[in-house]
Amino acid sequence: MLPSAFEDYLEAILMITEDGRRPATLAEIAAALGTGAEVARTTIAALAEEGYLEHVSGDAVRLTTKGSAVASRVARKHRVLQCFLTEMLGVDADAASKEACTLEHGISDETIDRLSSYMDGAEPARGRMGRCCGRNACTLLDCKEGDTVRVAMIRGPRRNRRLVDLGIFPGEVVQIRRKLPNKSVVVRAKGCDIGISPEIAASIVVESCP
Amino acid sequence: MRFALVGNPSVGKSLIFNQLTGLGVEVSNYPGTTVELQRGNTCFQREMVELVDLPGVYSLDGESDEETLVREFLEQQDTDAVIVVTNVTRLERNLYLLLQVAEYGIPMVVVLNMADEAVKQGLEIDPGPIRDLLGVDVILTAAAQGKNIDRIIPAALAATRPAKVEIPYDHHIEAAVRSLGKMYGADRMKSIQALQGIGESPELLEAARTIADEIESRHRMTAAQIIAANRHNFAHRIADLTLKEDVMVPRSDLDGILTRVFPGIPILLGILVGMLLLVFIVGTFLEEMIVELFDVFAVQPFLALGLPPLAEELGISILLALQAGFGIAFPYVLLFYIVISVLEDSGYMTRAAFLADNAMHRVGMHGGAVIPLTLAFGCNVPAIMSVRLLHSRRERIIASFLVTMVPCSARTVIIAGIVAGFVGLGAAFSVYAIVFGLILVTGLFLSRVAPGERFGMIMEMVPLRRPDPRLVMRKAWSRLSEFLFIAMPLLLVGSVVLGLLGFFGIMTIFEEIVEPYTMALLGLPGYSATALIFGILRKEMAFETLAILAGTADLGAVLSSLQLYIFAVVTVLFVPCLATITVLLREVGSRITLAITLYTVALGLLVGALLFYILG
Repeated sequence: MLPSAFEDYLEAILMITEDGRRPATLAEIAAALGTGAEVARTTIAALAEEGYLEHVSGDAVRLTTKGSAVASRVARKHRVLQCFLTEMLGVDADAASKEACTLEHGISDETIDRLSSYMDGAEPARGRMGRCCGRNACTLLDCKEGDTVRVAMIRGPRRNRRLVDLGIFPGEVVQIRRKLPNKSVVVRAKGCDIGISPEIAASIVVESCP
Repeated sequence: MRFALVGNPSVGKSLIFNQLTGLGVEVSNYPGTTVELQRGNTCFQREMVELVDLPGVYSLDGESDEETLVREFLEQQDTDAVIVVTNVTRLERNLYLLLQVAEYGIPMVVVLNMADEAVKQGLEIDPGPIRDLLGVDVILTAAAQGKNIDRIIPAALAATRPAKVEIPYDHHIEAAVRSLGKMYGADRMKSIQALQGIGESPELLEAARTIADEIESRHRMTAAQIIAANRHNFAHRIADLTLKEDVMVPRSDLDGILTRVFPGIPILLGILVGMLLLVFIVGTFLEEMIVELFDVFAVQPFLALGLPPLAEELGISILLALQAGFGIAFPYVLLFYIVISVLEDSGYMTRAAFLADNAMHRVGMHGGAVIPLTLAFGCNVPAIMSVRLLHSRRERIIASFLVTMVPCSARTVIIAGIVAGFVGLGAAFSVYAIVFGLILVTGLFLSRVAPGERFGMIMEMVPLRRPDPRLVMRKAWSRLSEFLFIAMPLLLVGSVVLGLLGFFGIMTIFEEIVEPYTMALLGLPGYSATALIFGILRKEMAFETLAILAGTADLGAVLSSLQLYIFAVVTVLFVPCLATITVLLREVGSRITLAITLYTVALGLLVGALLFYILG
């Protein structure tokens, strides 16, 4: 198991690189963690030696498959914990984030899984809305052509009233019929094909169908 | 007696309306084309029956113009019965609206249309469950073949009992309905609407909002979402009872090729370019023919009459206006609408809109705007008339601005005749580059500042089907007559005013006044301003007038290359033609028309001045 500082680095790089789509520079990493450039350089070098990171160009690095796996696991723990703290216990969002940062390194994978499934069945603390729910949240944009998924939640429901009227509402199973490279999608709901813009597709949170 | 037709978009509602009334009403596949109410009369057993065709909607609880209109119409209850038209091949989604209409408790007839297609798809339809559940008459029809359409009016006349339905809502919603009923005496439907924030009474809305917030915090779903889900689930149950799938017939899926990047985008481009070429080549040919006919058979004989000068001037102005109007109406408006009706009725329009959506978003419109923008190259007039394809006023405004800037065929004549002819081919292309650059900049700018909310695309891909030639012609004809009756009088007035200005020498005075300014600003002689102003009537006339005023067709001999270039750029940008202005007035109103006119004038003068300053 890695020291918690190393995990923080990998998590930060994952956030900066937006799921590994672009490399992260030394300056960005240092800024994200609030450390000096020298400290960051040494740690990054150590992580690269261990095979978690690879150098791309200059001082920019990218997560390896191994590094990416660790980073995603830590990021998920962070989300679940933060969700638990804010939604179930009603902790203030900023404080919850800080606390989740400390707890995420000590907690086991199994406990996180159990906490996550516990929250699925439980009611949120009073006066709080199901806003965070970042646990494995994927949207229509993350789906592939041909996927069949269940709609879990629609963000900004008042703006997107027409989605509900066309049969795309929480609990409904829809099929992704087409996804263009520019991310416009066609989904089949209630036997009808509905074309949806990327920005609206991004507001439809889905979960995979059993 | 008055009956109203309600239904989802593109279920054949307008087709049924047309068959019942025999009036020229347009049918369209594109969601929201029939925004205006269509009214028509029919006679049944010597009784006059008025039919109202309400716009196609998906729901009665939304905020769009169409939904509000239908909701208000039903609330006023000034209809003796509603005829709900559904597409039986998409029954479940159609039932969602049907249930909402049924909640109004108005006498109702249900039309299950496209029964023929359903049979082809291997569906067996049993109208019994809907009849029993709602207590209404159910008719199976096939509007495309005119089957059973004659049974609709008798059924509507016989429908006197209000439709009844109790949708089983979530128990929290039911509890809310009960308490709102107790506290404010609101009936079931009013309470359900109030929970979704719809209604007039402020106290009821306030109370309903508190309850709705409470429900939302418990369910992690808004009250509106829960209500919609309950309705959808109920519709699902009814659809299951009504339809039995005999054999699963595989549906032919043209969308496999139409909505993919490849070959979808090449097909889209092919269709757009083909459409443009058709309108361009056939349109220009027909226009030249009409103009020629007018010259030979109307203008020349008229001049030969030798009338007094004032009468001659008036007569010529009228003839010129008619020439310009007919020269646009038949070649461009009619042809264009035949093409566009085919695209709409076949359902291809929604595919095109889907493919172009992202690109059009950058300039603040949804994908459908690709059609008016492309067709504007042929002629701005029908392109402006088609901006009503776009849903929001915001999009229509942006589209109107951009369309009027697109160089139409008449402006192409100027670019070809003046710039390519006297300056050079490269210069001609640079005019296009300047115009396209300005269109892009204008679009980017307007998408930031235009009023109204930006909506993303949530659009049903309507089923593909073969368009009905009679309907296509009828629709194209109705658009044509609309142009003739609305644009022609304005065109006539405008032409006469311009003619009289010329006759009384006001033009000459004007030339003398503006000469120093045009020389200083654009480096152009005063008579070019007159040519520009005549260009408002018909763009090609700017070219012709310039040649007449310059006293020679060899413009290169009297004006320098730069002057010709600047003249062409200014003419191309400067004010849309009179016919375009008249349709703009109708489509977007006088304020926006004025804004577009001022903007294009300012833009033309500014760009002309800049060119003169930089190149001169």
